[in-house]
Amino acid sequence: MGLKQYLLKRLLHSVFVMFFVVTVVFAAVRSIPGDPARLMLGGDVDTETLQALRTELGLNQPLYIQYLRWLRRLLSGDLGESIRTGEPVLGSLVQVAGPTVSIAALGMVIALVVAIPTGILSSVRRYEVEDYLSTAVAFFGISMPAFWIGIVLILLIGVNVEAIPTFGYTPLGEGVWPWFKSILLPAFAVGFPYGGILMRMMRSSMLEVLNEDYMRTARAKGLSSNLVLFKHGLQNALIPVVTLAGIFLAVVLGGVVAVEIVFGIRGLGRLLIGSINRRDFPVIQGTVLVIAFVFVLANIVIDLLYTMINPRIKYGGGE
Amino acid sequence: MTVSSRFDTTNGRIFGLRTDLIEQFADTVRRDLKAKIGVVIVTLFILAAVFAPELAPYDPMAQDFAPLQAPALSTEAPLGTDSFGRDLLSRLMFGARVSLGVGLGAVLFGSILGVLIGLVSGFYGGWVDDFLMRSVDVMWAFPWLLIAIMLVAIFGQGVWNVVVAVGFAYIDDFARITRGEVLSIREEEYMLAAESVGLSDAEVIFEEVLPNTVAPIIVQFTVLVARAMLAEATLSFLGLGVKPSTPTWGSLLGQGRDFITQAWWISIIPGLLIMITVLGINLFGDALRDAFDVREVDTE
Repeated sequence: MGLKQYLLKRLLHSVFVMFFVVTVVFAAVRSIPGDPARLMLGGDVDTETLQALRTELGLNQPLYIQYLRWLRRLLSGDLGESIRTGEPVLGSLVQVAGPTVSIAALGMVIALVVAIPTGILSSVRRYEVEDYLSTAVAFFGISMPAFWIGIVLILLIGVNVEAIPTFGYTPLGEGVWPWFKSILLPAFAVGFPYGGILMRMMRSSMLEVLNEDYMRTARAKGLSSNLVLFKHGLQNALIPVVTLAGIFLAVVLGGVVAVEIVFGIRGLGRLLIGSINRRDFPVIQGTVLVIAFVFVLANIVIDLLYTMINPRIKYGGGE
Repeated sequence: MTVSSRFDTTNGRIFGLRTDLIEQFADTVRRDLKAKIGVVIVTLFILAAVFAPELAPYDPMAQDFAPLQAPALSTEAPLGTDSFGRDLLSRLMFGARVSLGVGLGAVLFGSILGVLIGLVSGFYGGWVDDFLMRSVDVMWAFPWLLIAIMLVAIFGQGVWNVVVAVGFAYIDDFARITRGEVLSIREEEYMLAAESVGLSDAEVIFEEVLPNTVAPIIVQFTVLVARAMLAEATLSFLGLGVKPSTPTWGSLLGQGRDFITQAWWISIIPGLLIMITVLGINLFGDALRDAFDVREVDTE
């Protein structure tokens, strides 16, 4: 199978996955106990108002018609409106995307920039001080919940260093430096556990590669050991790390949502928790869908990266 | 470990685990300081959780003291009190029970389903394998946070939501590991022997295949218990986990959030305990990995 066919197959698979996600979310929201119309209107309402709203929402129609109508709305990018504020769900999501994406992205950058070189260093200097030290730090990273790192940072740094804010978010539009300062601590809290995972994976992956026959051969042929490392080893060592790095995106997501709450940032975390507390189902539903969509997209991107760095890939997906 | 010793079936077994693997683990613990630390922390944690009713000085629900007392050895509540005047030490000990239970429960849920899928998938191959593994692929689009949100939206808060939401995410880890192991041992001689003497598929799977996949599954199990406890903490902190009255380390930490500046201990002490325990479980898991010679990443 060629590259094009392989990618096409992956894309089709993703479309199928997304369709499945949409169906599961529809079923889940439909199984929430209670009548959505009654929930929207609150306690005491007369039957007429209730019936009018039920008709307006299409709740009187058979389930499969409701499902098809919902699918059609989704395809046109309509995620519905909040039953509390009446605002479009998509609009609210776009608003919170700024802080959430900023924190997640900076967190992942911090993790990658620190973890990949440290993991390599650790494998090359196995059982030496550098290895023990970085392994210890990584172990602490993977053993703390991100939001707790945030709390500790607020207590340690926020209280003592006034230049770094510990509350709220400054949009990028108000200047790069204020923006960066406002997301630095949250991003670190999100990035530390992720970096710990990455560093451990990089280290063991690199160790495996260093033990491969072709690496020994290259060294025996007299190639200087640094050149060997970077030309042969790194590319191969990165392959499993790239695949696994995607799986651990769930760690980043859980981290960001909780860390935002700690730092009082109006992002995805607040939107989600708020909508659950207010039982605002369209918002819950829309947010869940968009996050799942982002995960499916990330999966495709990782697949592309994987094909790019792995020259030996077998597109058939066989063993 | 050589292949021949790995598939040697003449060794005794304890709970399906070959006794020589247990000896290797004991060796690792004797040799390695990190492994010793892991074993000590895990043992202490389990003891504290199991014997919480006997060991805890007070009733974790009773509002016995003045609220927000700072920790001090001189007072009756050595680790301080929460905003309701409840003894933090007792709540932490009872919280350890829930945190451990949820962590174990989640991974059990994920491992039972995942191992079954992996066994069937690897054993039968073909379209069964294709169908099962593609289904497992789909789970990728549902990170535990989303599952927890949907479950809370439908059922309200509760321990089982956390177990299912967190465990669900691990099905795919166990399915892949088990499947890989099954594929690698399918062609072994004793497998052919088992089939030729006319054992049923179920007998071959559970009596011959499963015991030989146990080592990597145990390693993964341990590592995931650590991760499940972190996930539980996050969900409880967000109010998506257990009911706030139930003490777990995550919910205790969450309650401390509103008092960070007045009463740092309510969030710092449970957080430290989570860190130490998860660190211990991770070290324990690493020692198991060393002892059983299981690879951390798959380079294929």
